[in-house]
Formats: sequence, C-alpha cells, structure tokens
Amino acid sequence: MGQQVGAALAESMHRVTVKLVSFLPGLLALLVAVIVLTALGALVASVLRRMLVSARFDERFGRTQNATVADIAPSHSPTLLITRIAFWACVVLGVVIGVSALDASYPGNTQITSIVIPYLTHSVGAVIILLIGTVLARFLSRSVLIGAVNLQMQYARFLSLGVKWLVLVLTAAMVLDHLEIGGSIVALAFGILFGGIVLTLSLAIGLGSRDLVSRSLEKNVEPPADRNVLDDIPRPVSRSTETLRHF
Amino acid sequence: MATASTISETANSGSPPAGLLVALTPLPPEALEKTLRNLSAAFSDQSVQVATPDPLPSDVEANGRLQAFTYAPATHLPGGWLLTAADYLNAYKVMQEHGSSACIILGPQAQTLQPEALANFAAAIGGGNTDLVSPRYSLGPRDGLVNSAILYPATRALFGTRPRYPLAVDLAVSRRMAEKLASVAQRFTASGQNGALLWPVAEAASAGLSIAEADVGTRAIPAPDSVDLNTVLAQVAGSMFADIEAKAGFWQRARLAYTPKSAAAHTQAAQVQAAEAEDLPDIQPMLESFRLAYSNLHEIWSLVLPPNSLLGLKKLSLTPAAEFTMPDSLWARIVYDFILAYRLRTINRGHLMGALTPLYLAWVASHLRLGSTTGTNSVGPEAHVEALAAAFETDKPYLVSRWRWPDRFNP
Repeated sequence: MGQQVGAALAESMHRVTVKLVSFLPGLLALLVAVIVLTALGALVASVLRRMLVSARFDERFGRTQNATVADIAPSHSPTLLITRIAFWACVVLGVVIGVSALDASYPGNTQITSIVIPYLTHSVGAVIILLIGTVLARFLSRSVLIGAVNLQMQYARFLSLGVKWLVLVLTAAMVLDHLEIGGSIVALAFGILFGGIVLTLSLAIGLGSRDLVSRSLEKNVEPPADRNVLDDIPRPVSRSTETLRHF
Repeated sequence: MATASTISETANSGSPPAGLLVALTPLPPEALEKTLRNLSAAFSDQSVQVATPDPLPSDVEANGRLQAFTYAPATHLPGGWLLTAADYLNAYKVMQEHGSSACIILGPQAQTLQPEALANFAAAIGGGNTDLVSPRYSLGPRDGLVNSAILYPATRALFGTRPRYPLAVDLAVSRRMAEKLASVAQRFTASGQNGALLWPVAEAASAGLSIAEADVGTRAIPAPDSVDLNTVLAQVAGSMFADIEAKAGFWQRARLAYTPKSAAAHTQAAQVQAAEAEDLPDIQPMLESFRLAYSNLHEIWSLVLPPNSLLGLKKLSLTPAAEFTMPDSLWARIVYDFILAYRLRTINRGHLMGALTPLYLAWVASHLRLGSTTGTNSVGPEAHVEALAAAFETDKPYLVSRWRWPDRFNP
C-alpha cells in the first residue's frame, strides 16, 4: 500500500517536473518576446517622436485640425499620442508573440493560445473602451455643464452629473460585456441603472421647467374678455440685454 | 527689445491714389445700386475701378467716373458678416489683374457707408505711405462690446497698434498689404476654410507695415450669422487667440512706439460720448448669468485662472448690482489666462470659449454700469475702454512671462 502511494507520488512529481521543464522555455520565450518588443517599441516611439518634433507636427496639426484629438492626447500633444500608441502596439504584439511561443512549447492537447489570445484581445479592447468612455464622459459632462450654464439653467450641474454617470454606466456595462463577466446580470443591472438615471433626469428637468412650460402655455391662452382695466395701463418696460450689440 | 514699427494715426487727408480699386463683397441688388451711387458721389472727380461679384445694375454705365465690372471669384465666397480669407484673396487677384496700386475692400452692408466716409478712406490710403487703413466707426456705447472688451485692448497691448476696430468690416490696403493678406488667406483657403477670419492689423504689425485709421462715421454693422452669443464669441475670440498664438514670436518683443496724436482727440470724443451715454440698462440678467456660472463653472475656471483671479471673481459674485464693477486689471488677467489656456490646451478649446462667455457678460454689466450717466463712479464708455486697454498694456509682462514659462511662473 505504502509502496503504491509512494510510486503514485513519485510518478506525479515526475509528471509535474517534466511539465515544468517543458513549460519553462516557453515562459522564457514569452518574457524575451515581451522585453524585446518593448525595447523595440521604445525605439520606434523615440524615432517617431524625433521625426514628428522636427516636422513640427503638433503645430501643423493644431493649425489644420480641430482640437478634438489634441484634447484626448496626453499633455494635449498629438505627437505624444502617436508615439504612445506605437509603443503600446509593440508591447501588445510582444505579448501575443510570447503567448504563441508558450503555446507552441507547451506539450499536450491544451491550446493555450486559443484561450489566452482572444481573452487578451478582449482585455485590450475593454481597456480601450474604458479609456474612451471615461474621456467621453468628462467631455460630455463639461459640454452639458457649460451649455446649460450659458442657457442659464439652474440645474446645470445636476444635468451634467446625470450625463456623466449615464456614459460611465454605459461604459462599465460595455467593458463587462466585452470581458464576458457577469452575463445577463450585467445587462439587467445596466438596464435598471440607465433607466433610473434617465427617469431621474426627466423628472428633474420636467419639474425644473414647470414654470417655463406654464408661462409658455399661458401665452397661448386667449386673454379673458373681462380683463382688469389696470392691464391696459402701460408699464415700464425693463430694458434687457437685447438692446446690446456684442459685435 | 524690438519696437513695433507700426503706428496708427488718424490719416491725413490726401487725394485718392491712381489705380484705386474698390472691391465689394456680395450685396443684394438694391444695396449694390446704393453703394455704387455712394461711390459715384465720393469719387466724382476721379475714375475708380469697382469690382463686384454680383451682376451690375443696368444704369451703371451712366455713372461716368466709375469703372464698375463683375468679376468671377477665384475662390468661393462664403458670404457672412465679416471679411473672410476668400474676400482678401479675391480682392488681391482682381488687383493683380487690373494693376491697381491700392484697394478698398468694403464688407457686407457697404451701402450704409456715406460718400464722405468712402472719400476719407481713399484719401487715407492715397498718400502712398500707408499700407493699411482701418476704419474708425462711430458706434453707440452699447455696440461692438466684444471689440471693446477683448479685440481692441488685446490687439493694442500685444501688437502695439492703435486701431479701435481690429476686426473691421471694411479696409483699405496698399498692394503689398493686399499681397500679405492674400498669402495668409491662401493658407486657409487651401484647406477649405474660405470663411476663416483674418486679423489685418496684427498682420500689418508683424510684417512691419504702416497702419492708419480713418474716421468713417456711422455704419450699419452686419449682424453675425448666428444669434447665439456663445457661438459667435467662440468664433471671433477663438480666431484671435489662434492668431496671437501664431504670432507669439512678434508680440513678445513688440512695444507701443508712442501715443499718437489721434488718441488724445479720440479721448476727447470719448468724453463727449460719455455725456451722450444713456441710462443704465437692465444688467440683472447678465449678473444672474455670471453668478450661476460662478457656482457651477468654478471647477473649470480653476483649471484656467490663477487663485488671485478666482478670488476676485468670488468677491465679484457677492457684490450687489448697484456696486458691480469688474476691475480692469482682473479682466485683463482673465483674458490673458484664457489666451494661455487656449495655447496650452488646458481644456478643450470649445469648452474654454464657452467658459469665457459668463465672464464676458460680467464685464459687459460692469462696463454698462460704469458707462451710464446714472451709475455711481461712471466714467463714460469710451474712457472706460481706453482705461481697460491701458490695463492690458500694463499687464502684458504677465502674459509674456507665463507664455514663456507656463509651469514655472504661476502667481
């Protein structure tokens, strides 16, 4: 009995050791691929940066394009954005090559590549969605805030926050869905949250604009025949900003 | 330290130059007819070429001294309420084709310019020593407020020039100035931006060309294409900020050469205008807009403005309407900080210009209060604008320092 247990353990240890030994070169290959491609990415980014700086790309881009790209770029520099994209593209390529090498060196029937690479791609996609969503939420939130303030809406901040959280909730749901986490729970939670925010905003705007709607309706109602004679007395008209010419 | 060679003076009267061209922008038929009549009256003793993109009225042949003709615009004219890149480019091409030595470019609603004004214009460019004649309109105290708040003081302080309307609707230019403007305009039209605004005063200053100013009296200033103040303010001020960014190498070294004689004359005129200023209009909506913005946009303003300015705005938000006065130095700093933020792209440029609107309205409220005859401490609108321009000049070193060392110099 003891001999059998000992043999089973020895056999198991042997199998694990063999697997580890065959796994290590693959792991080493993954590390080498990542390091080499990272170094290559740094080199490409550096060369690109020098080229774009010498070509005054930021100035030319700023002169000919709208500010949208420069706004989402790190330090508001399109050059930096391009170089970083090049760098991270190389790093991701290194990881993909490394995983592929690991898979090739891994014995047995398990196909790591077929599991890891799609998930890795999804993860990269999720990170990109998260970044875009965050930037978009901030951009739209500020746009709504400034626009609403300039329209003299008292609930400008509330509206802006609502828009921000709408976009963030949508982003979070998309990220989780992309990573295939949560399944139908995410869709359900997203529906409840999104609907809740929209309903809250609608109620807030509706209640906030009640006076505005009332005044609008009153204008359309015909004046009663027996109106007060005091209404005919001309009243001093307050001069508004309409008398001003800004240009 | 370099000195700007451009000095603005009220132009001496002279005779219109030989080979004078008057370039018109698209006008409705009645307006074109009236403009031609005014031109005919202004140049009754001299032949002048008039180029218009519109078909000529049938009786134009009877106007003997005017050589009016229709030209085919080389660049599509977008129309609009101000002179655009396409207008400058087309005017120069017509000048080239007809060998004109000088050109008067008249903007939309040119029919409201009186013959005397047109003659003044021609006389100002006629001496041959002037490259750019900017008109000085007689506008009311409540007109051209963006010009008074931002365009005039900033242009005067940065480029060392004096023209009161840096973004005028009409201009008179020499051939070399027209060439300069056309070369700048071509950069825009090449990328399809035919409606881009140009800043002729700044162009002339940076190129070392001479500038003069001509009194043209009253004129109907065309209304902007958009009725939305935010949109138009963003368009005009944004264009100016971009131009300031492009000419940073010049204005950091430029200084005002001296106060021209005309400035004193205009200050006297300003005092007269102050006496004519009407009662204080209702500034409450503008103040409400500012206060609402202060409570909501503080976070965005804090990205652009230094603590001193924010403190000034806080005090201002608590000031009652009867005492509401925005210090000139505060407004100058605000404009300079927005110019810097525009350059550094601290926040999205559209957001930046949107965040400027309530501050501008606060300045307008303060300006109207100071300019009214009923307000306390009233100084008259034009005198206030001159004082504001002086404040911009005083604070110019602040902008230069922060432009050069935006991170190191942050008071």
